Amino acid sequence: MKFLPYILKNVLRNKLRSVFTGLSIAVSLFLVTVLYAYINMQDEVGKESEKYARIVVTAKQGLMFPVPIAHLDKVRAMQGVKAASPLAWFGGKYKDDKIPFAQFATDTSAIFTVLDEFTVPPEQLSAWQKDRSGCVVGEKIARKRGWTFGDKVVLKGDIYPVNLELTVDGIYDGPESSDREMLFYHYEYLDELLKQARSQLAGNAGTIFVKAQSADMLPSLMTQIQARFASSDSPVRAVTEQAFRQMFTEMLGNVRAYIRNVALAVVVSLVCVAGNAMAMSLRERTREVAVLKAIGFSRTTVMSLVLFEAMVIAVGGGLVGTLGARALFTFGDISFMAIPGFAAFYVPWSTVIFALAIAAAVGLASGMIPAWRAARMSVVDGLRKVV
Amino acid sequence: MVPIKYNIRSLRNRWVSSLMTILGTGLVVWASVLAFGLADGLDHTLAISGDPLDLIVMRKGATSETNSIISESTAREIDTLAGVATDAAGNKLYSSELVVVVNTPRRGEQAGSANLIVRGVPPVGKQVRTGFRIVEGRENKPGLREAITSRTMARRFVGAGLGEKLDIFDAPFEIVGIFEAGGSASESEVWTDLEVLAQATKREGVRSALQIRVNSPDDAATLMNRIENDEQFGLKAVTEPQYFLDQAQAGMAIKIVGRTIAIVLTIGAMFAVANTMYAAVASRAREIGTLRAVGFSRRTVLASFLLESLLLCLAGGAVGCLGALPLNGLSTGTANWATFSELTFSFRFGPAVLAQAVLLAVLMGVIGGLFPAIRATRMKIVDALREI
Amino acid sequence: MTNSAPETLVKLREVSKEYMRDKIHVPVLSNTSLDIPKGEFVAVMGPSGSGKSTLLNLVAGIDRPTTGTIIVAGQVLNDLSESKLTRWRSHHLGFIFQLYNLMPVLTAFENVELPLLLTPLSKRQRAEHVRTALRIVGLSDRMDHYPRQLSGGQEQRVAIARALVNDPVLLLADEPTGNLDATAAQEILDLLQQLNEEFEKTIIMVTHDPRAARRAHRMLHLEKGTFVETELDALEAAG
Ligand SMILES: Nc1ncnc2c1ncn2[C@@H]1O[C@H](COP(=O)(O)OP(=O)(O)OP(=O)(O)O)[C@@H](O)[C@H]1O
Ligand SMILES: [Mg+2]
Repeated sequence: MKFLPYILKNVLRNKLRSVFTGLSIAVSLFLVTVLYAYINMQDEVGKESEKYARIVVTAKQGLMFPVPIAHLDKVRAMQGVKAASPLAWFGGKYKDDKIPFAQFATDTSAIFTVLDEFTVPPEQLSAWQKDRSGCVVGEKIARKRGWTFGDKVVLKGDIYPVNLELTVDGIYDGPESSDREMLFYHYEYLDELLKQARSQLAGNAGTIFVKAQSADMLPSLMTQIQARFASSDSPVRAVTEQAFRQMFTEMLGNVRAYIRNVALAVVVSLVCVAGNAMAMSLRERTREVAVLKAIGFSRTTVMSLVLFEAMVIAVGGGLVGTLGARALFTFGDISFMAIPGFAAFYVPWSTVIFALAIAAAVGLASGMIPAWRAARMSVVDGLRKVV
Repeated sequence: MVPIKYNIRSLRNRWVSSLMTILGTGLVVWASVLAFGLADGLDHTLAISGDPLDLIVMRKGATSETNSIISESTAREIDTLAGVATDAAGNKLYSSELVVVVNTPRRGEQAGSANLIVRGVPPVGKQVRTGFRIVEGRENKPGLREAITSRTMARRFVGAGLGEKLDIFDAPFEIVGIFEAGGSASESEVWTDLEVLAQATKREGVRSALQIRVNSPDDAATLMNRIENDEQFGLKAVTEPQYFLDQAQAGMAIKIVGRTIAIVLTIGAMFAVANTMYAAVASRAREIGTLRAVGFSRRTVLASFLLESLLLCLAGGAVGCLGALPLNGLSTGTANWATFSELTFSFRFGPAVLAQAVLLAVLMGVIGGLFPAIRATRMKIVDALREI
Repeated sequence: MTNSAPETLVKLREVSKEYMRDKIHVPVLSNTSLDIPKGEFVAVMGPSGSGKSTLLNLVAGIDRPTTGTIIVAGQVLNDLSESKLTRWRSHHLGFIFQLYNLMPVLTAFENVELPLLLTPLSKRQRAEHVRTALRIVGLSDRMDHYPRQLSGGQEQRVAIARALVNDPVLLLADEPTGNLDATAAQEILDLLQQLNEEFEKTIIMVTHDPRAARRAHRMLHLEKGTFVETELDALEAAG
C-alpha cells in the first residue's frame, strides 16, 4: 500500500488527538473483550467438555442435596464406566479471600483418570496418594499464589464445620481452556474430619464424576445410573458434563443480555467519539483535501484515505485494549478480583479476534461520514477556505 | 466570569461535534446507570425481604434454606419454645417449611433454564410473611397439587403462569393463584402445600427451615440464644435481615462488575471529552486571546472552559439517565449462588443511582476538560491574537 | 500539423460563469472566448474579484462553466464526469497555488511524490521522477525537509516540482509570487520562464504584479467578466 506512509503521517499529525481517540477505544474494548471472554469462555469450556465423555451425577433434588458415597462403588460396577470419583465442593476460606477458589474432595486413584485432560508427574501423583492430607493444585493457581511442594494450605470450612490443613504434593497442568486453578485433596481426609465432628455431612460425595469408556455410551449410561437409584432414598440425576456446565452458564441468564447491551452501547458510543475526532481532523485539513483533489486524487481515493486513517486509529486502540486484556488475564494476578467465575478466567483468541473486528467496524463506521464529506467537498470552496 | 451564554453559543456553533460528544458520553452513562440500577434493584429486594421480628431456623453450618435439613420431630420441639408469637385466634406463628430447587426452562427461545425455589408451606406460613396477599386467582388448597407464585415468576418460567401446570419432580402442579409479598425475595419462589411437596419429592418427615414470628426484639434474642445453645438441636437461628445480608454476596458480584464497567467506560469517555475540548480550545485561540486582552484573568478563562466541558457532559449524563428510565421496574433475574437458584428483581433507578450517574458525568467533564482548559490559559495573548 | 501554425491547447468558447449567493446571481465571466496555443506563457491580470481564479478553476476542470465549452488538449471538459475529470487532471495538469498548499506532514520528496502515487509507476521509478523534478527546481539538497523547514520561495519551488512531476502539458499558477518577497519572486518567475522555454510547458499565470506579467508572451486583462487585451506599458503608464 503506497499510501500507507501518508496515512500514518496523517494519523500522527495531531498526536494527542489520535492517542486519545485510540485510548478511548482501547479502554472500552478492553472492557468488551473481558465481558465477551466471560461468556465465550463458558461456551467454549462447555463445548470442550463434550469430547471428554463424562457424566456428572448429582442429587435429584439439586446440588444442595447429598449424594451418598455408597453410590460410588455401585456406579463403578456399571457397564461402560471407565472411572468414577467423588467431587465434593468444599468452599473453604483461604487466608482473606472473600470468595473461595475451587477445592474438591476426590478419590486420588481415580480423579486424574476421570479428568484426563490434566497431567501430573507420576512421582508427584504417587506421593499425593500416600499423603492423607496432601493436595494437588493447578499450575496457574500455584503460580499466582506462589505455592510449591511442601507448602501448607489451610482452608477454613464454611459449608463444612471442619478446617483442612493440606500440604502441596503435586501440581497439575492442562490445556489452555481448562481450569488450572483448582485444588484436589483426599475424600477420606474430609470424611474422617466430618465423622470426628459428628457432622451430618459425613458420607456425602457431593457429586460423582464418571468417565465413560466411550462417548456413545453416555446416553445409555445416564439412563442406567438414574434407574439404578430411582427408588432409593437418594435418587440422582445424571447429565453429561456439558449439560452440567451449561446449567451454570444459563443461571447467568440475563447477565448475557446485559453484557450484549453494554457492548452495543460501547460500540455506538465509540463510533460517535471516533467519528467526532475524525471529523475534527478533517475540518482542519479541508484545504489539503481540496488540493489532493485538485492534483487529481479521485473521490474514491480520498475516501479510502480517510477511512483507512480512521481504521488505523481504531484498530491500533483495539489492539492495545484486547491484547492488554489477554495479557492481564494470562500473565497477571487477578486474584484481587474476587468475583465468582472469574477465578479461572482466560481470554480466548477467538474473543480477541472478535473484539478486533469490532474495532475495525468502529473505525470504518466512524470514518464513514467524514470520508463521505471529504469526497463530496467542492474543490473550489476548499481552496478558497482559509483555515 | 465569562457569561455562560458564550459557552452555550460556542457549543451550538459546533453542534455536530457537541452532539457527537453528548451521544458518546450519554451512552457511557446509560450503560453505567443500567449497571447501578441492577445492583440497586437487587439490594432493594434483599433489603425489604427481611423483617427483624421474623426468625429463620436452619441446621448449623447451612448457608441457606436450600442446604439445610431439619427432622420433623426436632422442628416440632422448637414449636414449644417460649417467645413464639401467636395470632388473634391463638395459633402459633411458626411455620416449618420444605424448600426444594427445581430446574425449570425460562420462557422464550434460547433463554435456557434456571433453578427456581419451590417452597412447601403449611397454611400458617402465609401469615408469617408480612405483605403476603393473593392478587389474582386463589390460594392453593392443602392436600392438592396446587401452587401459587408471583407475577414475575409467572412471566419468566414455562408452566408458572396462572392456570398452567408446573413440573415439580415429574409431578404437575397447577398454578391457581398469583401472590405479592411486597417485592421481597419470596416473589422469586413458587409456593405449594408442605405435605404435598414432601410427598412429591419423597422427603416426608424432612424440613428445610423454620420461619418463626416473635413479638419483640428481646424475644428474638432469647429464642435465638436458646436454639443456638442447645447441642441437641444442632440448629441455628438468624433474623431475616441477617439471613438476606449473608445472601447479598450475590449482589456483591453484580456491584463489583457494574462499578468496574462504569469506571472503565468513564475513563474512556474522558479521553473523548478531552479531544473535543482540545479542538474547541484550538479553534478559539483568537477568542481566548481577545478575552485575555480585554482583561479576563487566566482563572476566568480556565473556569469558562471547564464549565463548557461540564455542560457538555451533563447533557450527556441527562441523555443517559433519560434513556435508562424506561427500563425502570423491568424485571430481571440473577443467580443467587447462596441458594443455587434464581433471584428475580427489578431495575431501580432511584435518586442514589441517578446521583452516581451525575457524578460520573461531572468526573468526565472536569477531568476530560481540565487539560484543554489549562492549555487555553497557557496561551500567550499575542500569539493567540496572531493565530488565524 | 506544421510548425508555423501551433495547435491550440486551451480553447474557451462563449464561456459564462455565475455564482448563486443568497439567491442572487453573481455573474463572474460573461460570454468569454479565448485561445491559448501550445507553448505559450500567458499572464492574466485584473482587479480583485474580476474572476481570474475562476478562470483557472474552469480550465483546470475543478469548476464547471454555467454555459459555453472548454476544450483543453483536445478534450472537451464539459463532457467528462467528475471522476473522469479528476483522472484527466492528474495526467495533463499541474496546479501552483499562491499559498503553496504543501502537505505539512510530508517531506519535500513525499509532497512531490504525491501525484505519482496515482500512477502505476514502481517505487524506484517514482523516486527517479521526483529527483528529476526537484533537480529542475533546484532543491535536490532539501528533499527530506518538511515544509515548515523551508522558506516561502523554497516551498513554492517544491509546489512547482509537484506540479511538474507527472510531466503535464499545461501549468496553471494562481498568483505564484503573491506571498513572496521581490528576490524570491524573481527566482520563481525565472523558473517558470525556464519551464516554458526549455521544457515547452504551456503556462497560464494569474498575477497582480506587472513585473511578473512582463515575463509572459501575452497579457490578458480581465475586467467585468471579459478580456481586454492591453499593452503592458500602457497599463503601467495608466497605473
Ligand atoms: N464558490 C463561489 N461562490 C460564490 N461566489 C464566488 C465563488 N467563487 C468566486 N465567487 C465570486 O466570483 C467572483 C470572482 O472570484 P475570483 O476568485 O475568481 O476572483 P479573482 O479575480 O481571483 O480575485 P483575487 O484577485 O482577489 O483573487 C468574486 O466576486 C467572488 O466573490
Ligand atoms: Mg484569485
